[in-house]
Amino acid sequence: MESIELPAERERYEPGSEADFERLYRNTYRRILGTLITLVRDRATAEDCTQETYERAYRNWRGWRPDAPVEAWLHRIAINVAISDRRHQQLRSAGEMIRRLGRPAAGPDPSLIAENSDLVQALKKLPTKQAAALVLRHYHGYTNREIAAALNVPEQTVASRLGAARKQLQAVLGR
Amino acid sequence: MSDLERELEQELHRVLDPITALPIPARRQPEARRAARALLGGAGAALTVKVLTGVAVAAAAVTVAGAATTGSLNPADWGQQVTQQVADCKAQLADGQHGIGACVSSFASQHGSAAASAARQHGNGNGNGNAHAKDKNKAHPATPKSGSVPRGLDSEPADQAATHRTVTSTSHP
Repeated sequence: MESIELPAERERYEPGSEADFERLYRNTYRRILGTLITLVRDRATAEDCTQETYERAYRNWRGWRPDAPVEAWLHRIAINVAISDRRHQQLRSAGEMIRRLGRPAAGPDPSLIAENSDLVQALKKLPTKQAAALVLRHYHGYTNREIAAALNVPEQTVASRLGAARKQLQAVLGR
Repeated sequence: MSDLERELEQELHRVLDPITALPIPARRQPEARRAARALLGGAGAALTVKVLTGVAVAAAAVTVAGAATTGSLNPADWGQQVTQQVADCKAQLADGQHGIGACVSSFASQHGSAAASAARQHGNGNGNGNAHAKDKNKAHPATPKSGSVPRGLDSEPADQAATHRTVTSTSHP
């Protein structure tokens, strides 16, 4: 697969610049949200994790090196946020269930399509970094090198991780 | 590309594109409240109280020690008196004599003892600045502030530079 120039990479950003960070947010929000929806349990959590991602990124914005791919950097943060969220998910789920009792059913929402999708549900059952590798490759069109930067692993690891993720996905989907 | 990969791409776009097409919300600003909460709540609060208490106690101790020595709450008075006493002690040194430590220490003890009792009477401290226990029974006259004017202030300071001879120190037995 050829390297695809990502929208965020077409622009130049100045580390530490408030205006540039806001522009980066506008340019990348949807893609980061798209990734996180496949990694965490629902859309609300994905939105919260997306905001958390930008908060963490903002804290390190001065230290970002302009030669590093900015969207891969953001994805790395987002994946770490998702991993943290998954760790806390079990603890939260009991409390959530109690809060949801008696609440009226939610109206039609595009996120329900995602939440009800077998594929998205199957992705959520994979290890976070495996699911992220699949989404970065097959939804965002990242190259193995870009995925390696996002996952903070060697490029060779990405290929084997993608292979393992596909196998596990087939098993989860029962194909 | 395998069937699975193609299916994966199509399915991901089908479910994710409608969501990612929704309006972008405003970026959540890092809350200043969070920092304040961290500072004022939990372990942060305990640490803050300890630090502030430490600073207050240290400031009070410095003030009381200064007041006990000089009889004044103004630290400038204290500094000025010590400076004058040092100059005075130097002037008192005989030719070839060195060391003003005992002279300055005596001044500090004398004033500490006198000012500490005054401070106690005014209830503004424990007055233990320089009034060491060993000096308690000494019959130091309560030296008024004016009494601390160096004795040699009116006279010309001794021309120590001219009169000092080179002293060769000899080892004491």
